[in-house]
Amino acid sequence: MKQSLKTFALLMTAAYALSHPAWAASVKGSVAFAGAAPAPKTVNMAADPTCAALHKTPQPDEDLVVNSNNTLKNVFVYVKTGLEGKTFPAPAEPVSFDQNGCHYVPHVVGVMVGQPFQIINSDSTLHNVHSLAKESKQFNLGMPIKGMKIKKTFEKPEIMAKVKCDVHPWMHAYVGVLSHPFYAVSGDDGSFEIKDLPPGKYTLEAWQETLGTKTVEITVPDSGDTAPVQFSFGS
Amino acid sequence: MPPKKPSLYSLDKTHVAFAASGFILLVGLVWMVLQDSSREWKGWQRKYMAMMQERAQTELKETQAKINAEELKKLQAELAEAKSTVVQHRAEIQKAQNELDQITNRFNKVKTEYQNLKQFQDSDRYFYEEYADHHEDEKARVYDKRLKDREGELAQAKLKFEQITAEKEAKEAEIKTWTGREQEVSKKITAMEMDVTLAEGKISKFTPSLAKEILNAPMLDFIHPSLQIQQIVVEKLQDDYYFAKAQKVDRCITCHLGIDQKGLENAPQPFRTHPNLDLFLGSNSPHKLEEIGCTTCHGGSGQSVSFTTAAHTPHSSEQAKEWAKKYDWKALEFWADKMLPLNHVEASCAKCHTGTVDVPQAPKLNEGRRLVTEYGCTGCHKVEGMDRWKVGPSLAHVQSKLDGDWIVRWLQNPKEFRHSTRMPRIFNLSNASDPESLDKNNAAISGVAAYLMKNSDPVTLTAPVGKGHAENGKTLVETIGCLGCHTVGGQSANHHGPELSGLGSKVKPEWLYSWLKDPKHYNPNTRMPSLRLSDQEASDITAYLLADHNEKFESDRPPYVKPEVVADMAVSFLTGTMRHEDALKKLNAMSPEEQLEFVGSKVIAHQGCFGCHEIKGFEDAKPIGTELTYEGTKDLSRFDFGFVEIPRTRQAWIFQKLKDPRAYDRGKVKPYFEKLKMPHFEFSDEQADAITTFVLSLQKSSIPLEMQKVLDSREKETEAGRLLVEKMNCQGCHTVDGVEGRVRSIIEDAGNAPPILDGEGKKVRERWLYHFLKGPTPIRPWLKYRMPTFGFSDQETHSLVTYFNHLSNVHERYVEDETPVTTPEHVKQGGPLFTQLQCIKCHQAHPDAALSSSFLAPNLEMAKDRLRPDWILEWLKDPQVVMPGTMMPGFFPDGASPLPDILNGDATEQIRAIRDYLMVFNPDEKPAAAAAGAKDRKNTAT
Repeated sequence: MKQSLKTFALLMTAAYALSHPAWAASVKGSVAFAGAAPAPKTVNMAADPTCAALHKTPQPDEDLVVNSNNTLKNVFVYVKTGLEGKTFPAPAEPVSFDQNGCHYVPHVVGVMVGQPFQIINSDSTLHNVHSLAKESKQFNLGMPIKGMKIKKTFEKPEIMAKVKCDVHPWMHAYVGVLSHPFYAVSGDDGSFEIKDLPPGKYTLEAWQETLGTKTVEITVPDSGDTAPVQFSFGS
Repeated sequence: MPPKKPSLYSLDKTHVAFAASGFILLVGLVWMVLQDSSREWKGWQRKYMAMMQERAQTELKETQAKINAEELKKLQAELAEAKSTVVQHRAEIQKAQNELDQITNRFNKVKTEYQNLKQFQDSDRYFYEEYADHHEDEKARVYDKRLKDREGELAQAKLKFEQITAEKEAKEAEIKTWTGREQEVSKKITAMEMDVTLAEGKISKFTPSLAKEILNAPMLDFIHPSLQIQQIVVEKLQDDYYFAKAQKVDRCITCHLGIDQKGLENAPQPFRTHPNLDLFLGSNSPHKLEEIGCTTCHGGSGQSVSFTTAAHTPHSSEQAKEWAKKYDWKALEFWADKMLPLNHVEASCAKCHTGTVDVPQAPKLNEGRRLVTEYGCTGCHKVEGMDRWKVGPSLAHVQSKLDGDWIVRWLQNPKEFRHSTRMPRIFNLSNASDPESLDKNNAAISGVAAYLMKNSDPVTLTAPVGKGHAENGKTLVETIGCLGCHTVGGQSANHHGPELSGLGSKVKPEWLYSWLKDPKHYNPNTRMPSLRLSDQEASDITAYLLADHNEKFESDRPPYVKPEVVADMAVSFLTGTMRHEDALKKLNAMSPEEQLEFVGSKVIAHQGCFGCHEIKGFEDAKPIGTELTYEGTKDLSRFDFGFVEIPRTRQAWIFQKLKDPRAYDRGKVKPYFEKLKMPHFEFSDEQADAITTFVLSLQKSSIPLEMQKVLDSREKETEAGRLLVEKMNCQGCHTVDGVEGRVRSIIEDAGNAPPILDGEGKKVRERWLYHFLKGPTPIRPWLKYRMPTFGFSDQETHSLVTYFNHLSNVHERYVEDETPVTTPEHVKQGGPLFTQLQCIKCHQAHPDAALSSSFLAPNLEMAKDRLRPDWILEWLKDPQVVMPGTMMPGFFPDGASPLPDILNGDATEQIRAIRDYLMVFNPDEKPAAAAAGAKDRKNTAT
C-alpha cells in the first residue's frame, strides 16, 4: 500500500514536472540582523575534560550567531503554507547529524517525515542524544563509541524539535521536521536557497531559536526565478 | 284532564334536580377521567417522542447525504444485469434446482443412516465398557464383537455421507454461478441503505398516529398504550419504608428516557444521557442500571413519577426558584429520604466503597475526607472505621516550648497569629460574645494556659551552637526539603505542616534548635522527621526562622481576668457533683492559682482539646463530639435547626454548622456551659461543601455485602500504605501512586527534584527498601533535597514496603533478594562493556561539582544491594519504557548493540553481562576493572 502510494506520488510529481517547465525555480534570499551584533557568548566545556581538550580557544555559544556581514546563521527557512494537499516522498538518503568537538553539527537541521536521520558521534567521549520532540516519539540514545552511527526517523512535522545532550548541558540543536523538501538553513553569509519549488503562492517562514519567527508571502511564477527574499530580525 | 295527583313532592322539580345532578355527575366523571389520564410524565414522553422524531429526521437526511449516489446507481445497474442473467438461465437453474432437491433427499437419508449407526456404536461401546468394568467378560465379549462387526459398516456410511455432502455442495455452487451475483449485489445495496432504513424505522416509531392516539386515549389506555410508566425492579436491593421493606422499584426512567442512550449528551433535561456510561448504567459498566437502579445513588422516591413527589432536591436557592417556575416544584416536607442534590451525589459512593483512602472518580468525597483528616474532626467526632492520629502538636512538654502568656493570646484568636493555621477559634464566637460570656471566656483561656503550664513536663533543651546565619538558613530551608511539608517565606508547595511564619514571636532559640536537631526528643509521636542537620545547619535555620516576627501579635496584651469570675466558674463546676455549701468550702480551700488551674482542667474537658493535642491528665478521655458514623442517614427530626432559616435538609444543616458552628444557638437562652461548643474553623464554601459531601456519605448501608466493593488482602495492605503515605506526606516530595510530587512545582531543574517512585516496588529489593526507610542514606549525593529520617516503626516500614510492591504488582515476597545467577563469563565481559559504554561518566561515586545535576546518576556500587536484578535487565534494554522522560539514555536502540565484538554483539547477552558485572562492581577496584577493560578493548579492537 505504502509502496504504491509512493509510486503514485512519484508519478504525480513527474507529471507535474513535465507540464510545468518552471519546475526548477529556486527561491534565494538572506536573513539580515538589524542593529549592533551582541557580544558573542562562549560555552564552558570544563565539565568534560575530553571536550575541553578538543579546543584551544573558547567555543562560541550557537544560540545566536551573527555573521561578519550582519546576517544571521542557523536560521531555518521553510515553506509554511501553500503546499497543502500535496504529498512528497521522503528521500532515502539520510540527513547527517554529527556530534563533533562536543557540538552538534549542524546546529539547525531540516529533515522530512520518514527520512532517515543519521546520528553520528565523532568524539571519543560519551554523548547522549535526547530528543524532546513533541509530535514524534522521543528518544534518548547513549553514544559511547567514537564513530558509531544510529538512524532514527521523525513521524510528524514539527517546528522545531529540540535535541539535547544531558551529559554536556551546552549541547543542543533544533530539527525542523517537514512533510515536504522545501526548506533551507542560512549559512555563514546569511544566505539560503530553497530549490525546485513549483509555481504558486506560498508563505515562507524564518525561524531563529532566540528571536522567534518572521513570515513573508512569495509567488513563484510559471517561468523564471523568484525575486530574492529578505528576512530581517532585530535584536 | 285528570286531576293532578296530590304528591308529597313536585315531580317537575325532581326532574330538574335529577337532570342537574346527572349532568354534574357526568361532568365530574369526564373531568375525573381526564384528570386521571393527564399526567405529568405523559407530557414528558410526548416531548421525548417529538424530540426523537426530529433527531431521526436529521439523521435520515445525514445518512441519505452520505450515500454515494453514483455508486448506488452503479450497483443498481449491476443488480439489473444480474437479474437478467437469472432470467436467461431460468431453465438451467430450474433443472439444477430439481437435481439439488433430489440430492437433498438422498443426503437426508444418508445422513440419518450414518447418524443412526453412530448412535448404535456409541450405545454398544457404553455397554461394553460397563460390562468390562464389572468383569462380566462374557457379555463384554458380545458387545466387543458387535462393535468390531459394525466398524466396517460405519466407515462405509461415513464415506457415503461425505460423498453426498460434496455432491450437494457442488450442485449448490453450480446454482450459485447464476444466482450468486444477484444475491451479492442486493446484499451490498441493503448494506448501503442500512442506515437510511434504520433512520426511517426510528421515524415511524416516534411519529404520532391515530392508532397510537386511540390506544393512549382515556379509558382505553389499559390495552396497549404507547405512553407507559417505565420502571426498573432492582432484584437485590430493598427500600425501607419504616417497618416494611419492599423491593426497590425505580420509575425515574419514565421521564429520563434517554438516560442510558448514547447520543443524547446534549439533549435538554430530563432526556439527557447520564454522564460516563462506561462507569455508570452501561451494560459493561460496574454500575449496571438494572442492578443498581437510580435511587441507590441519587436517593429520592423511586416509585413516584412526578417532579415534585420524586423528591428532586435543588442544590441552591436559585435552582429551587428555577424549578418552581419550570416544573412547579415544591419542597416535600414529609418525605425523609429526599434526593441528594447533584453536588453531593458522590456521598452515595460510600454505600459500597468503604475501607479505601480514596474512592475512584469521586474527587469531592475524597477532598471532604482529606479535610476531615487534616482538620482532625475525628478527634471529637467518632467515625467508625476511621481511626486517625491527633493532628495538633503534643502539649505534654509545652512549658519548654511556650509561655503561658503566649497561649492566652493565641487562644483569643489563633488566626490573628497565623492566618493559615488549622487551629480553630474556640472562644469569643457568636454565641458567647456578650459581656458576661467574654469575662468567662477570658477566665477559661487563662485557666487552660495555667493548667498546661503546670501540667506539662520540661525537656532538656540545647542552645544553638555558634552564631546562626539567617541567609544560609534561608537557603537550607528552601533546598533541603522543608518545603516538602511547610510553607515558608512565600515559597508554597505544601501545607502539610504548619506555615513557618512569626516563629520569632512564638518560640525560644534553644527550643527550635533542639526541635530541628531531633523532633522526637520533644515529642516522640511527632510526624516531623529529622533531616539529619549538622549543628551549624540547625543554628542557621533557627536564626532564619526566628527572624520572622508578628509585631501585631507581640503588641497584644492578655486581657484582665476577674478573680470573682474564676471563682464563680469553679463553683459552678463543683456544684455539679456536690452541694453548694461544700463547693464553697472546697473553693475557699484553693489558692487563686489552684482555682484557675481547676477551671482550666474543666474547660479542657468541656472543649475536648485532647481530641487534637496530647495533654497530660487527659490520656484516656473520650471524644466529646457527636458520633458521626451514621450521620448521613440520621433522621432529619434529630437535627436542631433552631431559628435558622435554611432548607430543612441534612446537607443544608451540615453546611451551616461548618460555616458557623454556633449559629443554631441564635435566639436561644442558655447557660454558659450549655452553649454549643464546636469551634470555628473558618472553612471556605468549597471546603464546607466537600466536608458536607463526606458527612452525608456516612451512612448505615442498606446494600447487601456481596454487592459492595470488598477489599481483598492485597488491597487492604495497599490502602494501609496509602494512608501512611498521606499521613507522612510522601507525595509532598515524591511522585507516586498517580500524584505528582507537590514540591516539583517549585523546582526548576528536574534533575534537582526528589525522585519519582512509580515502579519502585519492581525496581528495588525489599530488604534494601526496608532498611533505607528505617535509616536513609544518600543515593543521589548531588541532590540537595534530603530524604528525611521519619523514625518509622517496624510495622509502618513493612507496610510501606508492601505498598510499593503492590503498586508495582510485585507480590512474591519469598523470591526477594535471591541473588541472580551470574556467570563468570558474563561478569568478565561486563567489565569492558561497562568501560566502553562509559557508564561511569554519569554514575560517579564522587561527582564533580562542575557537572550540572541533570545528568548525574546514582553510584552504581549500591546496585547489587539495592536493585532487583531483573529490573536492571529491563532498565538497560530501554530506560524510556520503564521511566518515560528519564535522563538515562538507551544504549541498545532497537535491541542492537554498538559493540559488535563483545559476546558476538548480542544486545541481550551484553545487557546480562553488564547486570552481572554490577552485582560484583566495586568502584575502589576501578583501576583493575578499567585495566581489564582496556586490555579487552585492545584484544577486540578492529
